[in-house]
Amino acid sequence: MTATSPAPEAAPSAVEVSLATEGLAKSFGGVKAVDGASVTFQHGKVNALIGPNGSGKTTFFNCVTGMIQPDAGTVSYRGRDLTGKAPHRVARAGIGRSFQLCRVFPRMTVLENLLVAVRPGGLGRSMRSARDREDIARARELLSRVGIDHLEQAEARDLSYGQQKLLELAGVLMADPETIMLDEPAGGVNPALIDRIAGLVRSLNAEGKTFIVVEHNMDLVMSLSDHVVVFDRGRQICEGTPTVVQNDPRVLEAYLGV
Amino acid sequence: MPSASDTVTARPGRGSTALKAVGLLLLVAAVVSFPSLAADPFILSVGVVIMSYAVLATSWNFVGGFTGYISLGHAAYSGLGAYATGLLVIHTGTNPWLAMLLAGVVVALIAIPIGIASLRVRGASFVIVSIAMVLILLLVFQSWGSVTGGSNGLRVPRPFDPSVLRPEQHERFFYLHAALLAVALLAWWAIDRSRFGMGLKAIREDEDKAQSLGVPTFSYKLVAFVVSAFFTALGGGLYALWFGFLDPIFQFSILVGSYMVLMSLLGGIRSLFGPLLGAVIVGYAVEYFKSQYGDTQFHLVAMGLLLGAVVLFMPDGIIPALTQLVRRFRPQAASIREVSQADLAEQRRAAADGSEGSTADPGAAAAGAGDRETEGVKR
Repeated sequence: MTATSPAPEAAPSAVEVSLATEGLAKSFGGVKAVDGASVTFQHGKVNALIGPNGSGKTTFFNCVTGMIQPDAGTVSYRGRDLTGKAPHRVARAGIGRSFQLCRVFPRMTVLENLLVAVRPGGLGRSMRSARDREDIARARELLSRVGIDHLEQAEARDLSYGQQKLLELAGVLMADPETIMLDEPAGGVNPALIDRIAGLVRSLNAEGKTFIVVEHNMDLVMSLSDHVVVFDRGRQICEGTPTVVQNDPRVLEAYLGV
Repeated sequence: MPSASDTVTARPGRGSTALKAVGLLLLVAAVVSFPSLAADPFILSVGVVIMSYAVLATSWNFVGGFTGYISLGHAAYSGLGAYATGLLVIHTGTNPWLAMLLAGVVVALIAIPIGIASLRVRGASFVIVSIAMVLILLLVFQSWGSVTGGSNGLRVPRPFDPSVLRPEQHERFFYLHAALLAVALLAWWAIDRSRFGMGLKAIREDEDKAQSLGVPTFSYKLVAFVVSAFFTALGGGLYALWFGFLDPIFQFSILVGSYMVLMSLLGGIRSLFGPLLGAVIVGYAVEYFKSQYGDTQFHLVAMGLLLGAVVLFMPDGIIPALTQLVRRFRPQAASIREVSQADLAEQRRAAADGSEGSTADPGAAAAGAGDRETEGVKR
């Protein structure tokens, strides 16, 4: 963590673009959930996407990761076009994601939950045993990293909600993504666990992972992120460092209702 | 978050591997010795029927068991396999066994566009599409009499010399079905332990989630579907060669497809031998009711009741229910993970370090966190 932290101060101008969208739009019936969002996230940073309920953050996530097809606009990742690509292609391009209401495979064991993940370029030899020694070792390492290694043989449905959140994160990591999109990582979990998740995000970021986090817990967002994008009514109204965003009158009006 | 009394489900260890090997040997011995133990040709023919059901149900389970896509119309593929085999033998004089294999390949090819179309929809919609398929084929094969023989049926020549008598025929076909079943089971087992199989099972659990983890769900489903259709067609072809007569109303019947589903659900769709066990029970029951009550529809009522009972009392099927029962009598290996006080202290210290590093002002974080009334760890 300390190894790379001086880097941002050293070269603040050289911002590498991670995920970027241009005029992204998606309507459901008459509701414009995402309405011309042109957003740029920074590579190697912890990016936060905030906004009031119903401002289109999750729809934006789903459009970007291919879960739903955008009506208009483009999505690119590190210069590569991802618009309308199927979710598994987005995943194998190096973008992992979690779901708003934590999703795991309920009738599989914790270990199996991780073995499902396909790493970029790891699709060959699909008739090989799923219980590959190397994969299992890696899975155990990740489980112990998030702190649920002692539950590896339990079925995922027997885990508490907090444990399932950690399991989901470990599963996303198993696919070895370069960029991790978390949809409300702190939603519905207790304060101690929020700290643990924040700690994980920080240490993973220090190892070079880019994060894009949708979150309502403002303390967490402000303490965790390098770059904040604020959404309102389906598009970004402001972006910048936490301090800049916090003091922007548009944000105060839209998000904090001042 | 680990608590001091997190429970860990015990898994069967090495002992169960030996148990499985013994079970497998017993199963093979039972199958091999059945024809010599069968009292009369009728019992033997019931054995062939049950074996045929076992092949079909196991083949169905490539889609139903792995991906959770419940097809009620798999009779489409057994029927097509049967007719393709019969027609190839009749019109081209192909060797019957080769014809059966070719029929399997042809049906697998036909299953590709059908799969591409039908696997786009999930749940109830997929079930309805699968039923529609079999109904369409029924109409086609009934109406296209010049080729299929229509409702008059199609007589398929026997592959063995007429000098081979009935009981001998039954015995040979019993073993042929058993061999085909063994191949299907082997394929299912190989997929089950593979990465491909892990991806398929993830689709059954949560398709979108699987895809977000990089699993190419559509191609995986399609491959499973085509493999299933291939084995189902082989099962249909072998049946055609044994029975020697095909009628669309029986070949393309929803009932046959429903039996495949019922057998698999009864035995357990997550288990390798689930469909086989289900086939033995349902197959025997159907024949029993037919012989006891003649041509009444009583066997259908009985099957309906059986299906209801399975869904209500053993939703996972017999094999998982029995496994659970056996596991209950096993000594529980490390069911509770003991955490020493030192470990707990260590964990707390680590957590405290983490939060100190995380927020410039721990007080503010605590205040913000205190607003939450959500409880992360439920038991």
